[in-house]
Amino acid sequence: MSDSKNLSATEGIKQRSNALRGTLAESLLDETTNAIREDDQALVKFHGMYQQDDRDRRDERAAKKLERLYSFMIRLRIPGGFFTPEQWIATHHVAGEYTTGVIKITTRQTLQLHGILKSRIKPTLKAFNKVHLDSIAACGDVNRNVICTAHPMQSDIHEQVHAYAAQISEFLKPKTHAYYEIWLDEEKLTDKKEEEDPLYQDRYLPRKFKVAIVIPPNNDVDVFANDLGLIAIIEHNMLKGFNVAIGGGLGATHGNAETYPRLATVIGYVPADERLFKVIYEVVTIQRDYGNRSDRKLARLKYTLDKYGVDWYKQELAKRTGFELEEAKPFTFTDREDYYGWHQNHKGLWYYTPFVENGRVLDDEQVALKSALLEIAQTGKANFRFTCNQNLIVADIKKKDKAAIEAILHRYRVIGHTEAASAIRKNSIACVALPTCPLALAEAQRYLPVLLGKIEPLLERHGLEEENIIIRMTGCPNGCGRPYAAEIGLVGTAPGRYNLHLAGDHEGMRLNRIYKENLDEAAILKELDLLFWLYQKERITGERFGDFAWRQRWFKQ
Amino acid sequence: MNLVKELIAGASRDELIWLSGYIAGAVAQEGATPVATNGVAAAANGAASAAANSTAPSAASANGASVSKITIAYGTETGNAKKLATDFAAQAKKKGIQAKLVGLEQYRLNDLSKEEYFFTVISTQGDGEPPAGAKKFYDHIHQGELKLDRLKYSVLALGDTAYPLFCKAGEDVDQQLQKAGGQRIVDLRKCDTNYEDEAGSWFDEILRRLDNSAPTGNGSGHSASTANSASAVLGNGATKTGGKKIYTGTVLTNIVLNDRGSSKQTHHVEIEAEGVSYQPGDSISIVPTNPVTVVEAILALTGADPARVFLHRSEEAPLSHLLRHKLNIVYLPERVVRKYASIVRQDIPETRIGLLDLLKIYPVKDATQFHEVIGILEPIAPRSYSIASSPEAHNGEIHLTVVKDTFCVNGETKHGLCSDLLSQLEPGQTVGFYIHPNSRFRLPAPDKDIIMVGPGTGIAPFRSFLAQRDSTGATGKNWLFFGDQHFTTDFLYQTELQDWTKTGVLTHLNTAFSRDQAQKVYVQHKMQKHAERLYSWLEAGAYLYVCGAQEPMSFDVENSLLAIIRQEGNKSVAQAESYLGELIEAGRYVKDVY
Repeated sequence: MSDSKNLSATEGIKQRSNALRGTLAESLLDETTNAIREDDQALVKFHGMYQQDDRDRRDERAAKKLERLYSFMIRLRIPGGFFTPEQWIATHHVAGEYTTGVIKITTRQTLQLHGILKSRIKPTLKAFNKVHLDSIAACGDVNRNVICTAHPMQSDIHEQVHAYAAQISEFLKPKTHAYYEIWLDEEKLTDKKEEEDPLYQDRYLPRKFKVAIVIPPNNDVDVFANDLGLIAIIEHNMLKGFNVAIGGGLGATHGNAETYPRLATVIGYVPADERLFKVIYEVVTIQRDYGNRSDRKLARLKYTLDKYGVDWYKQELAKRTGFELEEAKPFTFTDREDYYGWHQNHKGLWYYTPFVENGRVLDDEQVALKSALLEIAQTGKANFRFTCNQNLIVADIKKKDKAAIEAILHRYRVIGHTEAASAIRKNSIACVALPTCPLALAEAQRYLPVLLGKIEPLLERHGLEEENIIIRMTGCPNGCGRPYAAEIGLVGTAPGRYNLHLAGDHEGMRLNRIYKENLDEAAILKELDLLFWLYQKERITGERFGDFAWRQRWFKQ
Repeated sequence: MNLVKELIAGASRDELIWLSGYIAGAVAQEGATPVATNGVAAAANGAASAAANSTAPSAASANGASVSKITIAYGTETGNAKKLATDFAAQAKKKGIQAKLVGLEQYRLNDLSKEEYFFTVISTQGDGEPPAGAKKFYDHIHQGELKLDRLKYSVLALGDTAYPLFCKAGEDVDQQLQKAGGQRIVDLRKCDTNYEDEAGSWFDEILRRLDNSAPTGNGSGHSASTANSASAVLGNGATKTGGKKIYTGTVLTNIVLNDRGSSKQTHHVEIEAEGVSYQPGDSISIVPTNPVTVVEAILALTGADPARVFLHRSEEAPLSHLLRHKLNIVYLPERVVRKYASIVRQDIPETRIGLLDLLKIYPVKDATQFHEVIGILEPIAPRSYSIASSPEAHNGEIHLTVVKDTFCVNGETKHGLCSDLLSQLEPGQTVGFYIHPNSRFRLPAPDKDIIMVGPGTGIAPFRSFLAQRDSTGATGKNWLFFGDQHFTTDFLYQTELQDWTKTGVLTHLNTAFSRDQAQKVYVQHKMQKHAERLYSWLEAGAYLYVCGAQEPMSFDVENSLLAIIRQEGNKSVAQAESYLGELIEAGRYVKDVY
């Protein structure tokens, strides 16, 4: 069993919280501050929210004797990233009324809204509730949004596999009634037994837990970056079962060698029946019981796995489920991408994936994406499917409706914008970083597009502008933008400075490594210029940039 | 002797009788027996007598003073008139005269015609107005029908020579009482802000008239000691002008408290003020200067010689100096506009307008006319601002909370002269000011609870109160109601209030941000929300202060207060009013509104 002494402070907060209620209700009523109490800040994450403040404004506001400009980020729970047009319309209006207005598609197929004042949280969640959306467990020490290979053309049985996302999400959802009472003003429970939670008990997990379902050969979800990855094994268009991979997680802390990014280890195979859910359940309970609750930096399942060993975990799993996993079935990943442009699935339905830079849906001088999507949603002729690359798919369009949708996309210049975006840009991810993330050491979302504008000419110069090189930037080493699984990773260390990571593969099965540290923009460009030159000069035909870098040993030994 | 003969020749019979009584009284002052005085006075049939006169045997007076009952009424805004009147009443009592002390806001108007000896201490506000509480009385004596034949009176007027209509309210009362048939027994006495000496000597004279004994030492002694304490601390750069100590302070800080995106611009100004003594609740008065651009434009337009010397209020100064520092030229009141109109012989609509615009639209025809115009201009009126700092907590500094006043004149956006000036002050610049004591708006004993209602800049004195109570370790509880437009941009002094809440100095802080939601929420709504607690605090002896805009805030707050008293105290409308009246009487409900 894990250490019961020296529990981290968060453990106490969870246990005292009366099933995640804390003093949230009182915090909401405090009219002297837009912040919530400290303990409640930890608890509100379980409700899908973070308290943030605008870091750019801190000094000026302090001089004016004003508190920090606090606001809340709300992240929705959207298993598999599937959204109806009604839900999009509601989100569009909520975003306009209560938030910064920008709808942010995350790297795990869900949406985030920023800038929500404390007094507007309830109206926002109530508005979402009306279209059957909630933010339960979108953050916090629980199972997060369940992601699944996004594009239906991936497989004839995509729908069947995709359905597991919602099922697993419900299955692993906390039983507490707190969310409904606090945000939706529903009746308080009289019988506490109704929210008894045998899975999470009163202490929840030691840390976040992420589940991903993937349909090979496209590793669009980055399945090995998750605590629990389920690789769909399909034979003759029939879902047989899933390979189970555990222990993925990319977060690390600069200068703390005990922390490191890790890709999940495949531990076996389970058929697609009730045994699947037993396996899922017990993978979680083992982490719940053995995960490190003293040091949150070492609390993810990957550390539990490495501490006790893969064999031990498999044995414990067999003990708890009552059966052994079968041997893993073969699978291959050949790609890790979103399918931009128009595509059809096996039923003849149409799908359009526009390029959404860093997942930010808004209207600007280049493209009026937000208006376009509203108009499309209002036709009712398309669903929306979010991808794990911060994009979305305008989806499930009947053949007869394709022209109308296309006309809208053209009118708002969405198609032009998508076609004009360079290959490297379309393969980029940046986390939010400044000004709202308190952990950011450097810019990401606000800077990567600018930097790409300087990298594109370098690629052109070396004839590489068509190459799908995966490049990702984060403002800190926590890895929310999956930089360690990129071919080029830029991890912020200080304002304007980044560590350069290379040699990760294209499919997401090999992490990259640090190549050079603390580079500023000029240094980054200088390095890439040289590396691109060498790449085009010496690569084997068809060899990916990440593989070439690996071959050249472009990383610190 | 010829003079005497002339007098007698021109006098009526009544007047002669009066004269003889007067002379007898004057002789009596030197120590003659009261009997002689009485006898002469009795003959002075119905005439006002400067000698002490008694129609009833007076057992009260130690040396047989003939007056035993007088009324001392006061019309006060900041409490100074009341304090004086109270002192006078005490002095009278010592001399065996029973003095009824009454505030004009509570004075029963019908009693006036029954009064015999009626002494008024009344201050003048703003543009020659009586204090708000005295308005009812003031209007009453201005209606034509009054007959006050029995009345013997005198008026002490408090005012500020910095204002054009110095002591006007007092003058009006003095005139009206005479018109109604009253007899003035001591001339109207007008006092500037350093009033103690003058006021003391006025009442001494009254006592002399009422009683033939020599004036007590107390009056002048009191004045002297007050004068001493008043002139006690003359800090750096203090100069004595016209009875007020004018300080010059250096600006240390000037920041805008509102955040970006606010529609308001509220400045927090810190001024170095070593040696300036004041109390929490006091205000400072600042005389703003006119903008250089306007002055230059006027000189250019009229071609007048800026160096030409004029006599202004017994001071000689060049025109440029007068235009810049002394004369009100930006917002001329209607009465001045009317005078201008008659100088240039033009029809000018009655509206507030600047001198520059007047000169542009209705030009003077020559230099002489322009000099005439200079003659009708009034001095720049000082503006008062509640002090936002505490002497204990912010030693050597004075802080102000000033909102930049923006208003529309003829469709044009204009800014308040003084607030505009203050908003542009930079650290290192100096500003002249004097202290305007607010003797009714004071912290109570340290163990008393206080409730403060101060939306917008009304928070200023309460910041002073809280800082003071924090510094002195007062144990009384403190409850603040604050309001403004938007939470994120207009929460004045938010972090300081949060800190005081954390340390327990601020027991309760309730806020109302009117434009943060569909319906307007104001401080009175929050008061109603906490009606039960508010009423129980009042019942337990709390003091309630209101500071900020008079209209509509202070009226809305008062109405809510009455509703709370009715509702929580189970009282009728009249009972609630009476409850509030008692609070006022006890000094437990005080306002500083503008």
